[in-house]
Amino acid sequence: MRQMQFIRSNTFLWALAVAATLALFVVGLFAFVYRELDDYLIARSDRMITTQIHFMAGLPRDRRARAVADQLEQDSRHVHYAGLFSARGARLAGNIDRVPSGFDLDGTVQGVRLDPLETAAGRSPIVRTVGRRLDDGDVLVLGRHVDETREISSVVGQALALGVLPAFCLCVLAGAWLSVRAQKRVEEVNQRVQRIVAGELRERLPEGNADDPFARLARIVNGMLDEMETMINALAGVGNDIAHDLRTPLTRARLALERGRTHATTLAQLQEVTDKAIAGIDQSLAIVTALLRLTEIENNRRTAGFGNVALDEILREVCDVYEPIAEDKGIALGVVIDRGVQVWGDRDLLFEAIANLVDNAVKFTPAGGRVKLELKSDDRTALVGVSDTGPGINEQEREAVLRRFYRSDKIRNTPGVGLGLSLVAAIVKLHGFRLIIGPAPGGRVEILACTARESAARRMPISDVGSGKREVDVMATRDALDAGTCRMSETEFRGVTPSLVACASASLLKPVSRFEMWEC
Amino acid sequence: MTRILLIEDDIETAEAIVAELAERSFEVQWAPNGIEGLDHARTSHPDAMIVDRMLPGMDGLTVVEALRNDQIRTPVLVLSALGAVDDRVRGLRMGGDDYLTKPFAIVELVARIEALLRRPTENRETVLVAGPLELDLIERTARRGEREIDLLPREFRLLEYMMRRSDQLLTRAMLLEEVWNYKFVPATTNLIDVHMGRLRHKVDAPGDVQLIHNVRGSGFILRGRQ
Repeated sequence: MRQMQFIRSNTFLWALAVAATLALFVVGLFAFVYRELDDYLIARSDRMITTQIHFMAGLPRDRRARAVADQLEQDSRHVHYAGLFSARGARLAGNIDRVPSGFDLDGTVQGVRLDPLETAAGRSPIVRTVGRRLDDGDVLVLGRHVDETREISSVVGQALALGVLPAFCLCVLAGAWLSVRAQKRVEEVNQRVQRIVAGELRERLPEGNADDPFARLARIVNGMLDEMETMINALAGVGNDIAHDLRTPLTRARLALERGRTHATTLAQLQEVTDKAIAGIDQSLAIVTALLRLTEIENNRRTAGFGNVALDEILREVCDVYEPIAEDKGIALGVVIDRGVQVWGDRDLLFEAIANLVDNAVKFTPAGGRVKLELKSDDRTALVGVSDTGPGINEQEREAVLRRFYRSDKIRNTPGVGLGLSLVAAIVKLHGFRLIIGPAPGGRVEILACTARESAARRMPISDVGSGKREVDVMATRDALDAGTCRMSETEFRGVTPSLVACASASLLKPVSRFEMWEC
Repeated sequence: MTRILLIEDDIETAEAIVAELAERSFEVQWAPNGIEGLDHARTSHPDAMIVDRMLPGMDGLTVVEALRNDQIRTPVLVLSALGAVDDRVRGLRMGGDDYLTKPFAIVELVARIEALLRRPTENRETVLVAGPLELDLIERTARRGEREIDLLPREFRLLEYMMRRSDQLLTRAMLLEEVWNYKFVPATTNLIDVHMGRLRHKVDAPGDVQLIHNVRGSGFILRGRQ
């Protein structure tokens, strides 16, 4: 089974393919070399016998037979053939029995089957031969058997055997080795991943020192695991917070019920106790409801409920709802609208977000203070600002207020669930808008949105929303904006928050990337 | 006697609801699953129905849809543990008339059932009357007896809603949903009380018989009949 796997493994198959290609290539190369060499030898031999026949043809007649005999005598390798024939075809000298039939005696070299005079095995080889009819009518035929060809072919064959076979085997072995090595590493990674899956969040993949792709991949995955571990721990923290926040009202309810059971003597007393208990339970339920709502918004990637929403109307409505409450508290609530503007979004959610901001502002502003709702806009951006004369949110707490259940120590005793700003942040994020928290003293929270016309111009297909590789944090601080320290090109926004891409001023904000490693 | 069909699979919840409604002199028929419930709804023609959304056998919304397909228009209150806005919208779109998320206060349930049973008919009257109160919907004016009441638009809207449902308990949640069109629970819990306080201050002048009543722990009633 394991062997099959190893043979079927990609690395090994690739190695096999490379080896086969290499072998084919080498065989082709050898064939080419063989052919070229053969051609060269034949051409050389042809030139040699042509020169010889010229030389012999130039000799006086009586010396020709002698020259033919000498030539044959000196030929120790028995590759030369020569024949001198009379005009009628009778052999005068040499080792050729007769002039080959159909042989042109015009001095061109041809490959012909000669009939040797004395032959070992009675075979008649094909020989490069040239023939001429001499001036006196005699016929001179010279031939040379190019036997080196066979030697070359045997040498080439040997070279092939010595070269290609080991190379092929080497290739296959290397492939097998690489394959086994890769499989070993995959197996190791698999084991570690299994441990991670089993809940061992601290486990990491082996990185090694080498800079090979495998090690780089491991480093990327490890980076991701670091990030995920942090996030999971944060979530676990949230779980603890929830448990803690639920426990407080439940404890009150339980205590009330317990005391009532022991001490209540009249129906009125019992009812009072029950009311207290119900209030405690209702507060726990409010926490659960708010939390579910938050999850609902955070998980909601759909923008089905989106449309053009008039922000000025929402602001007036929110103001309308909170005016009596502010008045009761002795707070002046005002709304300043530059001009009407529409944004692309979910009306109910935007209302919820702005109502939450105003709710907070009214809650934390002491009597005699002011809460101001503002809407400023230009062609591309719209800015909703909620400012108050309350204590505001100081530098250290700015990040923390967006955390679930965060409640400043100063406001421990103010009623509320502690999810308000996280909810606003979630809604703002869903819209691809931006939440800006101003510096204390005096509370100021702004939502920087992009006008409907602008987002329509640059709107991306809905399926792309949220599919971006980079997660962008929605929070930026006003200081950082003013200081101009955070700057980022528009292209980096693309694919993440489509509506932000359009905003000139938004592109000045710095999104905090959570997955830096995807950038490479 | 008003007859109500309750389709709810949890026996304890069902028993509590049945007991509570019986106390308020409703006749309640209980079905523990969707198939039985649909059967009862078709044969016994109740005045209103309370349908749990998640039921064994047949989903609550399917029951409602089946009824609506049969042209049975019985008002339905859908109960559900699914509280998300999307779930609610789906519940109402599939034929539910009102949607209540579990867990709920029993007074909330009763108030909503009453509201369903006494849904204001689609009338074209332009002047609403409740006791000494008169609301002119065209002139946008309100008067109590001879006294002219000066109302802000939001107060007018609230009073109109209450006069259409006079002598009914209106819970805070109902008012938030219907008058303010809230799709969420506001962080400030006394939001409605403050608005109601304003309205009451204008409607019930010192010395007048009180028309707007605060029902402790549950909501408000506009009493037209004294």
